[in-house]
Amino acid sequence: MSGGGSLERERRQAYLLVAPAVLVLAGVALYPILAAVWLSLHRFILVFGERRFTGLDNYAFLLSDARFWAALGNTAYFTLVAVTVEVLLAVPLALLLNRAFPGRGLLRASVLVPWAIPTVVSARLWAWMFNPEYGVINRLLPGSDINWLGAPGYALHAAILVDVWKTTPFVALLVLAGLQGIPEDLYKAARVDGASAWRAFRSITLPLLKPALLLALLFRSLDAFRVFDAIYVLTEGGPANTTETLSIYAYKTLMRSGDFGYGSALSVATFLCVVVLAAVWMRLLGREEGAR
Amino acid sequence: MRRRSATLLVLGLAVLVFGVCGCRRPSEEAREPAGRTRLVFKYQPLWGAPEPFRELLARFERENPGVELVTEALPNASDLAHQFFLTALEGGADDFDVLVADVVWVPEFARAGWIADLSEHFPPERLRADFFPGPVEAVVVDGRTYAVPWYLDVGVLYYRKDLVPRAPRTYEELRRFAREAMAKAPGVQGYVWQGRQYEGLSCNVYEALWGHGGEALGEQGRVLLDAGPAREALGYLRGLVAEGVSPETVTGFSEEESRRVFQEGRAVFMRNWPYAWSEAQKPDSPIRGKVGIAPLPTKSGEPGWGTLGGWQLAVNAHVSPERRKLAARLIAHLTSPEANLVLALNYARNPPRPAVYEDPRLRAADPFIADLKPMVERARPRPVTPYYNLIADVLQSEFSAAVAGLRTPEEALKRAQKQVDHLTGVDE
Repeated sequence: MSGGGSLERERRQAYLLVAPAVLVLAGVALYPILAAVWLSLHRFILVFGERRFTGLDNYAFLLSDARFWAALGNTAYFTLVAVTVEVLLAVPLALLLNRAFPGRGLLRASVLVPWAIPTVVSARLWAWMFNPEYGVINRLLPGSDINWLGAPGYALHAAILVDVWKTTPFVALLVLAGLQGIPEDLYKAARVDGASAWRAFRSITLPLLKPALLLALLFRSLDAFRVFDAIYVLTEGGPANTTETLSIYAYKTLMRSGDFGYGSALSVATFLCVVVLAAVWMRLLGREEGAR
Repeated sequence: MRRRSATLLVLGLAVLVFGVCGCRRPSEEAREPAGRTRLVFKYQPLWGAPEPFRELLARFERENPGVELVTEALPNASDLAHQFFLTALEGGADDFDVLVADVVWVPEFARAGWIADLSEHFPPERLRADFFPGPVEAVVVDGRTYAVPWYLDVGVLYYRKDLVPRAPRTYEELRRFAREAMAKAPGVQGYVWQGRQYEGLSCNVYEALWGHGGEALGEQGRVLLDAGPAREALGYLRGLVAEGVSPETVTGFSEEESRRVFQEGRAVFMRNWPYAWSEAQKPDSPIRGKVGIAPLPTKSGEPGWGTLGGWQLAVNAHVSPERRKLAARLIAHLTSPEANLVLALNYARNPPRPAVYEDPRLRAADPFIADLKPMVERARPRPVTPYYNLIADVLQSEFSAAVAGLRTPEEALKRAQKQVDHLTGVDE
């Protein structure tokens, strides 16, 4: 830089500096993905001890596999319901936390507790609370003997409840950050113009909050789509696979059955779903950024 | 400047290279002090005071000078341990010599070439003479010995002596006794068992299958699902729930959920493993002294067959022949009648040898374990096939669908058979 450094040289230097990071990323992120794609083109079941290239056979079976479609349906339902509820709860929570009141710092910190507890631990706690015979939830609902984790209609909703409990604070935090970016002057001006609180919320808060909300939706839906730990602890995918998500199906096929070929195909399918989901959100976000 | 960025690049590459290679375990030679052999034993923790087991291991070291025993604990959950061995042995790991294997793993590991043939050290005929038939069936694959039974577990029926006249012998009696007791004692449920979608459910289903006169395997070792006794078995289990003899909530129960309901005195019958006994007999247990234990009922009334559970010892096939020999010696030591007794007396683990049950020391110290003999004798393994772990997941989900009433037993079994045949490559 000091004296006579050409632009060309600086560029080369820049490449050299990022090269290690690129190599590391390629090693830890790209290689496993490519390896999974390659494996998914084989019939490779550990106990058979053979590894045969079968092209797209695994994907052909996947398209006709009722269990795959059921798992995809469960995953989509889980993501849609959980994320919607989380955002609907997080916005009022963030509005509350954004107000000045004594003890706000303490409340902000304590709201984050569910999010800070490792999912496996909290899911175990919830599993005991959901226990239909001696769990606290049925005792709190007088006269109820709901079979939370054992009945097909309930188990997935119980899992959604656990996810909502755990991640609403995280969404609220993202929304809170968005709220704090809105200039106070706008509200003052609105008050001068005689706008009601509701009107101010609709015309100022909501539009300016949109980027933060979209970001929260992006993070949460990608995360929810890959859900594994909470459901694995609560039900292991049961009863009758009604809580089985794509990640659980892929895990069972890979690690329990030792069917690496088909398990990889399931993982790749999950990966593609997440990529598509991410692309859609990124487009929406990009449009939002552009509009500003 | 240029030199500095080149240095950075080299450093970055070095991190990458060592990051990838740095996780390799030191080779056998490197970790072995001169003149001593380190024998690594992978096992699951035995709950209880560690001293008796440590003493058992120390005795082997005393009898084999120059050998240092190293124990490495595994996660307690069977599926996690299976996952560990699956990845380690597939990758050719040779950093452990002796391993514990769940009953349903031995044929799979043998077929994959991961565990050594031990027939030379433990001929099948000798195992048949010394051990119960169920566990021998589980460790002898195609006439060769691949593991030695270490300790056993078996599914049994617990019943409330104060609520029913005697242990039921038939399914019909079980239902009748349960209904009568439920009528007399409101708030008490009939029969609790394990109906959650997991391996415990498969154990319950196989017990019902044997109780209806079925077999786990058909011709040519094919896993038999779409057959009369399997339909009857699933129909019976679903019927228990549908008729209210078992609470609807059993479809979410594993061992502990059922034990807690029974332990609180809120169930007449329970199917579980022997571990639940010591809990029921604790001083603060509401059902202390009111519990009896019996073989599971059957359709015909003859004593039922409980699912065989428990652990076997095998040798990692990736280690050198000299180490294998030493490993076989360790297995002989750990599965001897004396060792069986140590495990039974200190850890309540059922001996796999009938003779140990007659030992006066066991009779005097723990009559409960001694009394389990007739049930242990009839313990049966789940299908002994290399494909069991491959198909276990399919069985669990279809069994769960039938028990939860989502599909009829016929439909569930048809679906299961179709998926199993696809996985194992058998064409209809």
